[in-house]
Amino acid sequence: MDNLLPIKFRILHYLSTVETACADDFLIALKDEYGREKYFKKSVITEHLMDMKANFIIDDDEVLLDDAGQLVIYYKINDEGRKLLKKYLPKSWKNA
Amino acid sequence: MNDIVNRSAFAMKRQMDANFEKKGVLTGLFSGCTWGANNVLLGFALTLVPVLSGDAALYAIPLAAACINDTCAGLWLLLYNMSAGRLKEIFRSLKTMPGLMVCIAALMGGPIANSGYLLGISMAGPAYALTITALYPLVGAILSRIFLKQQILPRVWAGMLLSVVGAIIISYVPPEGDNSANFYLGIFFASLAALGWGSEAVLAVFGMSMIDPKIAINIRELTSGLCMAIFILPVVGGWAVLSEIIVLPATFATFAIAALAAGVSYLAWYMANSKCGVAKGMALNGTFVMWGVIFSAIFLGQELTQNLVAGSLCVLCGATLVAINPKEFFHKTEVA
Repeated sequence: MDNLLPIKFRILHYLSTVETACADDFLIALKDEYGREKYFKKSVITEHLMDMKANFIIDDDEVLLDDAGQLVIYYKINDEGRKLLKKYLPKSWKNA
Repeated sequence: MNDIVNRSAFAMKRQMDANFEKKGVLTGLFSGCTWGANNVLLGFALTLVPVLSGDAALYAIPLAAACINDTCAGLWLLLYNMSAGRLKEIFRSLKTMPGLMVCIAALMGGPIANSGYLLGISMAGPAYALTITALYPLVGAILSRIFLKQQILPRVWAGMLLSVVGAIIISYVPPEGDNSANFYLGIFFASLAALGWGSEAVLAVFGMSMIDPKIAINIRELTSGLCMAIFILPVVGGWAVLSEIIVLPATFATFAIAALAAGVSYLAWYMANSKCGVAKGMALNGTFVMWGVIFSAIFLGQELTQNLVAGSLCVLCGATLVAINPKEFFHKTEVA
Protein backbone atom coordinates (compact mmCIF):
# COMPACT_ATOMS: atom_id res chain seq x y z
CA MET A 1 0.00 0.00 0.00
CA ASP A 2 1.40 3.40 -0.95
CA ASN A 3 1.83 6.24 1.52
CA LEU A 4 0.25 8.85 -0.72
CA LEU A 5 -2.36 11.31 0.43
CA PRO A 6 -5.74 11.47 -1.32
CA ILE A 7 -5.08 13.75 -4.28
CA LYS A 8 -7.30 16.60 -3.09
CA PHE A 9 -5.54 16.58 0.29
CA ARG A 10 -2.17 16.54 -1.50
CA ILE A 11 -3.17 19.53 -3.64
CA LEU A 12 -3.92 21.50 -0.47
CA HIS A 13 -0.66 20.34 1.05
CA TYR A 14 1.33 21.29 -2.04
CA LEU A 15 -0.24 24.75 -2.01
CA SER A 16 1.12 25.23 1.52
CA THR A 17 4.66 24.72 0.21
CA VAL A 18 4.53 27.29 -2.59
CA GLU A 19 3.42 30.90 -2.92
CA THR A 20 0.81 30.24 -5.63
CA ALA A 21 0.14 27.49 -8.18
CA CYS A 22 -2.11 26.83 -11.18
CA ALA A 23 -3.53 23.48 -12.38
CA ASP A 24 -0.61 22.87 -14.73
CA ASP A 25 1.87 23.39 -11.87
CA PHE A 26 0.20 20.54 -9.95
CA LEU A 27 0.34 18.27 -13.00
CA ILE A 28 4.10 18.77 -13.16
CA ALA A 29 4.87 18.80 -9.43
CA LEU A 30 2.79 15.72 -8.52
CA LYS A 31 3.52 13.67 -11.64
CA ASP A 32 5.98 11.38 -9.87
CA GLU A 33 3.39 10.51 -7.22
CA TYR A 34 0.16 10.22 -9.19
CA GLY A 35 1.29 10.29 -12.82
CA ARG A 36 0.42 6.66 -13.49
CA GLU A 37 -3.15 7.01 -12.26
CA LYS A 38 -6.00 7.37 -14.71
CA TYR A 39 -7.79 10.20 -12.95
CA PHE A 40 -4.68 12.37 -12.55
CA LYS A 41 -5.64 14.97 -15.12
CA LYS A 42 -6.07 18.70 -15.39
CA SER A 43 -9.89 18.67 -15.32
CA VAL A 44 -9.87 16.75 -12.00
CA ILE A 45 -7.31 19.10 -10.45
CA THR A 46 -9.23 22.17 -11.66
CA GLU A 47 -12.46 20.84 -10.13
CA HIS A 48 -10.74 20.12 -6.79
CA LEU A 49 -9.28 23.63 -6.75
CA MET A 50 -12.69 25.18 -7.40
CA ASP A 51 -14.30 22.97 -4.73
CA MET A 52 -11.68 24.01 -2.19
CA LYS A 53 -12.20 27.65 -3.06
CA ALA A 54 -15.97 27.21 -2.62
CA ASN A 55 -15.21 25.76 0.82
CA PHE A 56 -13.10 28.80 1.73
CA ILE A 57 -9.83 26.99 2.35
CA ILE A 58 -7.96 28.43 -0.65
CA ASP A 59 -8.27 31.72 -2.55
CA ASP A 60 -7.67 32.57 -6.16
CA ASP A 61 -4.82 34.93 -6.89
CA GLU A 62 -3.54 35.91 -10.32
CA VAL A 63 -5.78 35.41 -13.36
CA LEU A 64 -4.31 35.52 -16.88
CA LEU A 65 -4.48 34.09 -20.39
CA ASP A 66 -1.70 31.83 -21.67
CA ASP A 67 -0.21 32.01 -25.18
CA ALA A 68 -3.03 29.81 -26.51
CA GLY A 69 -5.64 32.16 -25.05
CA GLN A 70 -6.59 29.66 -22.33
CA LEU A 71 -7.56 30.90 -18.88
CA VAL A 72 -4.95 30.29 -16.16
CA ILE A 73 -5.89 30.80 -12.50
CA TYR A 74 -3.32 30.80 -9.72
CA TYR A 75 -4.45 29.76 -6.25
CA LYS A 76 -2.99 30.28 -2.79
CA ILE A 77 -3.78 28.64 0.52
CA ASN A 78 -5.44 30.80 3.21
CA ASP A 79 -5.46 30.65 7.02
CA GLU A 80 -8.40 28.21 7.13
CA GLY A 81 -6.56 25.85 4.80
CA ARG A 82 -3.39 26.06 6.89
CA LYS A 83 -5.41 25.37 10.05
CA LEU A 84 -6.86 22.23 8.45
CA LEU A 85 -3.43 21.00 7.44
CA LYS A 86 -2.01 21.69 10.89
CA LYS A 87 -4.80 19.68 12.46
CA TYR A 88 -5.35 16.82 10.02
CA LEU A 89 -2.20 16.24 7.99
CA PRO A 90 -0.83 12.79 8.95
CA LYS A 91 2.29 12.93 11.14
CA SER A 92 4.43 11.21 8.52
CA TRP A 93 3.68 14.10 6.15
CA LYS A 94 4.31 16.81 8.73
CA ASN A 95 7.86 15.63 9.17
CA ALA A 96 8.43 15.06 5.44
CA MET B 1 -3.15 45.59 -24.98
CA ASN B 2 -2.39 44.09 -21.55
CA ASP B 3 -5.50 45.73 -20.25
CA ILE B 4 -7.64 44.03 -22.89
CA VAL B 5 -6.07 40.63 -22.11
CA ASN B 6 -6.66 41.17 -18.38
CA ARG B 7 -10.26 42.12 -18.96
CA SER B 8 -10.96 39.08 -21.11
CA ALA B 9 -9.22 36.84 -18.54
CA PHE B 10 -11.46 38.21 -15.78
CA ALA B 11 -14.54 37.87 -17.98
CA MET B 12 -13.63 34.21 -18.65
CA LYS B 13 -13.11 33.62 -14.94
CA ARG B 14 -16.46 35.18 -14.05
CA GLN B 15 -18.08 32.89 -16.61
CA MET B 16 -16.23 29.88 -15.16
CA ASP B 17 -17.37 30.76 -11.61
CA ALA B 18 -20.96 31.22 -12.82
CA ASN B 19 -20.85 27.84 -14.58
CA PHE B 20 -19.45 26.22 -11.43
CA GLU B 21 -22.31 27.62 -9.34
CA LYS B 22 -24.87 26.61 -11.96
CA LYS B 23 -23.41 23.10 -12.04
CA GLY B 24 -23.75 22.89 -8.25
CA VAL B 25 -27.41 23.94 -8.35
CA LEU B 26 -28.31 21.60 -11.22
CA THR B 27 -26.47 18.72 -9.52
CA GLY B 28 -28.43 19.41 -6.32
CA LEU B 29 -31.74 19.38 -8.20
CA PHE B 30 -30.72 16.19 -9.98
CA SER B 31 -29.96 14.59 -6.60
CA GLY B 32 -33.50 15.45 -5.47
CA CYS B 33 -35.01 14.02 -8.65
CA THR B 34 -33.09 10.74 -8.44
CA TRP B 35 -33.79 10.44 -4.69
CA GLY B 36 -37.50 10.81 -5.50
CA ALA B 37 -37.08 8.02 -8.07
CA ASN B 38 -35.28 5.92 -5.45
CA ASN B 39 -38.11 6.42 -2.95
CA VAL B 40 -40.72 5.31 -5.47
CA LEU B 41 -38.65 2.31 -6.65
CA LEU B 42 -37.90 1.33 -3.06
CA GLY B 43 -41.59 1.61 -2.22
CA PHE B 44 -42.34 -0.69 -5.15
CA ALA B 45 -39.59 -3.13 -4.09
CA LEU B 46 -41.09 -3.27 -0.58
CA THR B 47 -44.41 -4.44 -2.01
CA LEU B 48 -42.56 -7.49 -3.36
CA VAL B 49 -41.26 -8.52 0.07
CA PRO B 50 -43.13 -11.49 1.60
CA VAL B 51 -45.68 -10.38 4.20
CA LEU B 52 -44.43 -10.44 7.78
CA SER B 53 -46.32 -9.49 10.88
CA GLY B 54 -45.81 -7.49 14.08
CA ASP B 55 -42.43 -6.01 14.92
CA ALA B 56 -40.85 -7.57 11.84
CA ALA B 57 -43.06 -5.47 9.59
CA LEU B 58 -42.54 -2.38 11.74
CA TYR B 59 -38.75 -2.36 12.08
CA ALA B 60 -37.07 -5.30 10.37
CA ILE B 61 -38.37 -4.73 6.83
CA PRO B 62 -37.69 -0.97 6.57
CA LEU B 63 -34.27 -1.32 8.20
CA ALA B 64 -33.35 -4.31 6.03
CA ALA B 65 -34.47 -2.29 2.99
CA ALA B 66 -32.33 0.67 4.10
CA CYS B 67 -29.39 -1.70 4.58
CA ILE B 68 -29.79 -3.23 1.09
CA ASN B 69 -30.25 0.24 -0.40
CA ASP B 70 -27.04 1.61 1.11
CA THR B 71 -24.94 -1.52 0.57
CA CYS B 72 -25.99 -1.97 -3.07
CA ALA B 73 -25.57 1.77 -3.72
CA GLY B 74 -22.08 1.46 -2.23
CA LEU B 75 -21.30 -1.47 -4.54
CA TRP B 76 -22.58 0.45 -7.61
CA LEU B 77 -20.39 3.39 -6.61
CA LEU B 78 -17.45 1.05 -6.09
CA LEU B 79 -17.84 -0.18 -9.68
CA TYR B 80 -18.03 3.43 -10.87
CA ASN B 81 -14.90 4.46 -8.95
CA MET B 82 -12.99 1.35 -10.00
CA SER B 83 -13.76 1.98 -13.66
CA ALA B 84 -12.48 5.56 -13.26
CA GLY B 85 -9.26 4.32 -11.62
CA ARG B 86 -10.07 5.75 -8.19
CA LEU B 87 -9.96 2.54 -6.09
CA LYS B 88 -6.63 3.45 -4.45
CA GLU B 89 -8.09 6.81 -3.46
CA ILE B 90 -10.66 5.03 -1.28
CA PHE B 91 -7.98 3.32 0.81
CA ARG B 92 -5.86 6.48 0.94
CA SER B 93 -8.83 8.48 2.15
CA LEU B 94 -9.72 5.94 4.84
CA LYS B 95 -6.25 6.39 6.33
CA THR B 96 -6.84 10.10 6.95
CA MET B 97 -8.91 11.98 9.52
CA PRO B 98 -11.20 13.57 6.86
CA GLY B 99 -11.94 10.04 5.57
CA LEU B 100 -12.82 8.90 9.09
CA MET B 101 -15.10 11.92 9.45
CA VAL B 102 -17.01 10.72 6.41
CA CYS B 103 -17.38 7.36 8.20
CA ILE B 104 -18.88 9.16 11.22
CA ALA B 105 -21.15 11.08 8.81
CA ALA B 106 -22.23 7.69 7.45
CA LEU B 107 -23.14 6.44 10.92
CA MET B 108 -25.11 9.60 11.67
CA GLY B 109 -27.01 9.60 8.38
CA GLY B 110 -27.35 5.82 8.06
CA PRO B 111 -27.93 3.58 11.09
CA ILE B 112 -28.62 6.36 13.64
CA ALA B 113 -30.97 8.53 11.54
CA ASN B 114 -32.79 5.61 9.91
CA SER B 115 -33.37 3.83 13.22
CA GLY B 116 -34.40 7.10 14.90
CA TYR B 117 -36.86 7.80 12.08
CA LEU B 118 -38.59 4.42 12.37
CA LEU B 119 -38.58 4.38 16.17
CA GLY B 120 -39.90 7.97 16.18
CA ILE B 121 -42.81 7.06 13.91
CA SER B 122 -43.56 3.96 15.92
CA MET B 123 -43.49 5.63 19.36
CA ALA B 124 -44.68 9.20 18.74
CA GLY B 125 -46.86 8.55 15.70
CA PRO B 126 -46.28 9.75 12.13
CA ALA B 127 -47.94 13.15 12.65
CA TYR B 128 -45.23 14.34 15.01
CA ALA B 129 -42.30 12.21 13.86
CA LEU B 130 -42.59 13.10 10.16
CA THR B 131 -42.89 16.81 10.97
CA ILE B 132 -39.79 16.73 13.17
CA THR B 133 -37.69 14.70 10.74
CA ALA B 134 -38.68 17.02 7.87
CA LEU B 135 -36.75 19.74 9.70
CA TYR B 136 -33.41 18.09 8.95
CA PRO B 137 -32.36 20.62 6.25
CA LEU B 138 -32.72 23.40 8.81
CA VAL B 139 -30.64 21.44 11.32
CA GLY B 140 -27.96 20.96 8.65
CA ALA B 141 -27.99 24.64 7.72
CA ILE B 142 -27.69 25.75 11.36
CA LEU B 143 -24.84 23.29 12.01
CA SER B 144 -23.04 24.38 8.82
CA ARG B 145 -23.37 28.01 9.93
CA ILE B 146 -21.88 27.18 13.34
CA PHE B 147 -19.20 24.63 12.48
CA LEU B 148 -18.29 25.36 8.85
CA LYS B 149 -18.87 29.14 9.12
CA GLN B 150 -20.84 28.94 5.86
CA GLN B 151 -22.68 32.14 4.98
CA ILE B 152 -26.37 31.60 4.30
CA LEU B 153 -28.26 34.40 2.55
CA PRO B 154 -31.70 35.43 3.89
CA ARG B 155 -33.15 34.35 0.52
CA VAL B 156 -31.72 30.83 1.00
CA TRP B 157 -33.11 30.66 4.57
CA ALA B 158 -36.53 31.71 3.25
CA GLY B 159 -36.39 29.12 0.45
CA MET B 160 -35.38 26.40 2.90
CA LEU B 161 -38.22 27.26 5.28
CA LEU B 162 -40.70 27.14 2.41
CA SER B 163 -39.34 23.75 1.30
CA VAL B 164 -39.57 22.36 4.84
CA VAL B 165 -43.17 23.60 5.16
CA GLY B 166 -43.90 21.92 1.82
CA ALA B 167 -42.34 18.65 2.99
CA ILE B 168 -44.44 18.79 6.19
CA ILE B 169 -47.63 19.41 4.19
CA ILE B 170 -46.86 16.47 1.88
CA SER B 171 -46.14 14.04 4.70
CA TYR B 172 -48.87 15.40 6.99
CA VAL B 173 -50.87 12.80 8.83
CA PRO B 174 -53.56 13.92 11.31
CA PRO B 175 -52.59 13.18 14.93
CA GLU B 176 -54.42 10.18 16.33
CA GLY B 177 -54.85 11.66 19.77
CA ASP B 178 -53.95 8.52 21.76
CA ASN B 179 -50.33 9.23 22.53
CA SER B 180 -48.42 6.11 23.49
CA ALA B 181 -46.57 5.71 26.76
CA ASN B 182 -43.34 6.21 24.86
CA PHE B 183 -44.47 9.43 23.16
CA TYR B 184 -41.61 11.60 24.42
CA LEU B 185 -39.09 8.89 23.68
CA GLY B 186 -40.49 8.86 20.13
CA ILE B 187 -40.04 12.62 19.87
CA PHE B 188 -36.46 12.12 21.04
CA PHE B 189 -35.82 9.48 18.36
CA ALA B 190 -37.39 11.64 15.63
CA SER B 191 -35.17 14.55 16.73
CA LEU B 192 -32.20 12.20 16.66
CA ALA B 193 -33.06 11.37 13.04
CA ALA B 194 -33.20 15.07 12.09
CA LEU B 195 -29.90 15.62 13.88
CA GLY B 196 -28.41 12.56 12.17
CA TRP B 197 -29.32 13.63 8.63
CA GLY B 198 -28.45 17.27 9.32
CA SER B 199 -25.07 16.51 10.84
CA GLU B 200 -24.23 13.98 8.12
CA ALA B 201 -24.02 16.71 5.50
CA VAL B 202 -21.92 18.96 7.72
CA LEU B 203 -19.42 16.24 8.68
CA ALA B 204 -19.22 15.03 5.08
CA VAL B 205 -18.66 18.52 3.68
CA PHE B 206 -15.91 19.05 6.22
CA GLY B 207 -14.28 15.78 5.15
CA MET B 208 -14.74 16.66 1.49
CA SER B 209 -12.64 19.80 1.94
CA MET B 210 -9.78 17.34 1.63
CA ILE B 211 -11.17 14.29 -0.13
CA ASP B 212 -13.00 13.80 -3.40
CA PRO B 213 -16.84 13.77 -3.08
CA LYS B 214 -16.95 10.72 -5.37
CA ILE B 215 -14.79 8.84 -2.86
CA ALA B 216 -16.56 10.28 0.17
CA ILE B 217 -19.96 9.04 -0.95
CA ASN B 218 -18.59 5.59 -1.69
CA ILE B 219 -17.16 5.39 1.83
CA ARG B 220 -20.44 6.73 3.24
CA GLU B 221 -22.67 4.18 1.54
CA LEU B 222 -20.52 1.14 2.29
CA THR B 223 -19.94 2.17 5.93
CA SER B 224 -23.63 2.79 6.49
CA GLY B 225 -24.73 -0.45 4.80
CA LEU B 226 -22.18 -2.62 6.60
CA CYS B 227 -22.82 -1.06 10.02
CA MET B 228 -26.55 -1.54 9.62
CA ALA B 229 -25.99 -5.16 8.62
CA ILE B 230 -23.65 -5.87 11.56
CA PHE B 231 -25.10 -3.80 14.41
CA ILE B 232 -28.75 -2.95 13.69
CA LEU B 233 -30.26 -5.83 11.72
CA PRO B 234 -29.41 -8.58 14.25
CA VAL B 235 -31.26 -6.61 16.97
CA VAL B 236 -34.49 -6.21 14.96
CA GLY B 237 -34.46 -9.58 13.20
CA GLY B 238 -33.52 -8.00 9.90
CA TRP B 239 -31.28 -10.83 8.75
CA ALA B 240 -34.33 -13.05 8.35
CA VAL B 241 -35.83 -10.43 6.01
CA LEU B 242 -32.55 -10.11 4.11
CA SER B 243 -32.30 -13.85 3.57
CA GLU B 244 -35.88 -13.90 2.22
CA ILE B 245 -35.21 -11.03 -0.21
CA ILE B 246 -31.92 -12.38 -1.54
CA VAL B 247 -33.50 -15.65 -2.73
CA LEU B 248 -36.17 -13.82 -4.75
CA PRO B 249 -34.38 -12.67 -7.95
CA ALA B 250 -37.08 -10.23 -9.13
CA THR B 251 -37.39 -8.63 -5.70
CA PHE B 252 -33.66 -8.35 -5.22
CA ALA B 253 -33.21 -6.94 -8.75
CA THR B 254 -35.81 -4.24 -7.97
CA PHE B 255 -33.90 -3.33 -4.80
CA ALA B 256 -30.66 -3.23 -6.82
CA ILE B 257 -32.19 -0.87 -9.41
CA ALA B 258 -33.55 1.34 -6.62
CA ALA B 259 -30.06 1.34 -5.11
CA LEU B 260 -28.61 2.47 -8.44
CA ALA B 261 -30.88 5.52 -8.25
CA ALA B 262 -29.80 6.00 -4.62
CA GLY B 263 -26.10 5.81 -5.55
CA VAL B 264 -26.51 8.36 -8.34
CA SER B 265 -28.58 10.60 -6.08
CA TYR B 266 -26.17 10.49 -3.14
CA LEU B 267 -23.22 11.09 -5.48
CA ALA B 268 -24.97 14.16 -6.88
CA TRP B 269 -25.95 15.36 -3.39
CA TYR B 270 -22.40 15.12 -2.03
CA MET B 271 -21.06 16.89 -5.13
CA ALA B 272 -23.66 19.65 -4.78
CA ASN B 273 -22.91 20.08 -1.06
CA SER B 274 -19.26 20.41 -1.89
CA LYS B 275 -19.91 23.01 -4.62
CA CYS B 276 -22.67 25.20 -3.27
CA GLY B 277 -22.68 24.63 0.50
CA VAL B 278 -24.75 22.54 2.89
CA ALA B 279 -27.81 24.81 3.08
CA LYS B 280 -28.34 25.04 -0.67
CA GLY B 281 -27.37 21.40 -1.24
CA MET B 282 -29.88 20.16 1.35
CA ALA B 283 -32.68 22.41 0.14
CA LEU B 284 -32.20 21.31 -3.47
CA ASN B 285 -31.97 17.66 -2.46
CA GLY B 286 -35.14 18.22 -0.42
CA THR B 287 -37.11 18.53 -3.67
CA PHE B 288 -37.19 14.72 -3.60
CA VAL B 289 -40.56 14.86 -1.81
CA MET B 290 -42.00 16.76 -4.78
CA TRP B 291 -40.36 14.41 -7.31
CA GLY B 292 -41.69 11.46 -5.31
CA VAL B 293 -45.22 12.85 -5.64
CA ILE B 294 -44.77 13.41 -9.40
CA PHE B 295 -43.30 9.95 -10.07
CA SER B 296 -45.94 8.22 -7.92
CA ALA B 297 -48.72 10.02 -9.81
CA ILE B 298 -47.26 9.18 -13.23
CA PHE B 299 -46.01 5.63 -12.71
CA LEU B 300 -48.08 4.28 -9.82
CA GLY B 301 -51.30 6.18 -10.54
CA GLN B 302 -51.34 7.70 -7.05
CA GLU B 303 -54.18 10.16 -6.49
CA LEU B 304 -53.07 13.80 -6.24
CA THR B 305 -54.65 15.15 -3.06
CA GLN B 306 -54.80 18.85 -2.15
CA ASN B 307 -52.03 18.32 0.40
CA LEU B 308 -49.71 16.73 -2.16
CA VAL B 309 -50.25 19.52 -4.70
CA ALA B 310 -49.98 22.38 -2.18
CA GLY B 311 -46.91 20.83 -0.52
CA SER B 312 -45.20 20.18 -3.86
CA LEU B 313 -45.79 23.78 -4.95
CA CYS B 314 -44.26 25.02 -1.68
CA VAL B 315 -41.21 22.78 -2.22
CA LEU B 316 -40.89 23.99 -5.82
CA CYS B 317 -41.10 27.67 -4.84
CA GLY B 318 -38.67 27.10 -1.96
CA ALA B 319 -36.11 25.33 -4.15
CA THR B 320 -36.43 28.03 -6.82
CA LEU B 321 -35.82 30.71 -4.21
CA VAL B 322 -32.75 28.82 -2.98
CA ALA B 323 -31.36 28.34 -6.48
CA ILE B 324 -32.14 31.63 -8.18
CA ASN B 325 -31.76 35.19 -7.02
CA PRO B 326 -35.00 36.78 -8.32
CA LYS B 327 -33.31 40.20 -8.65
CA GLU B 328 -30.55 38.84 -10.88
CA PHE B 329 -32.98 36.64 -12.80
CA PHE B 330 -35.35 39.47 -13.71
CA HIS B 331 -32.46 41.85 -14.34
CA LYS B 332 -31.03 39.38 -16.87
CA THR B 333 -34.42 39.02 -18.52
CA GLU B 334 -34.73 42.80 -18.86
CA VAL B 335 -31.28 43.05 -20.44
CA ALA B 336 -32.08 40.23 -22.82
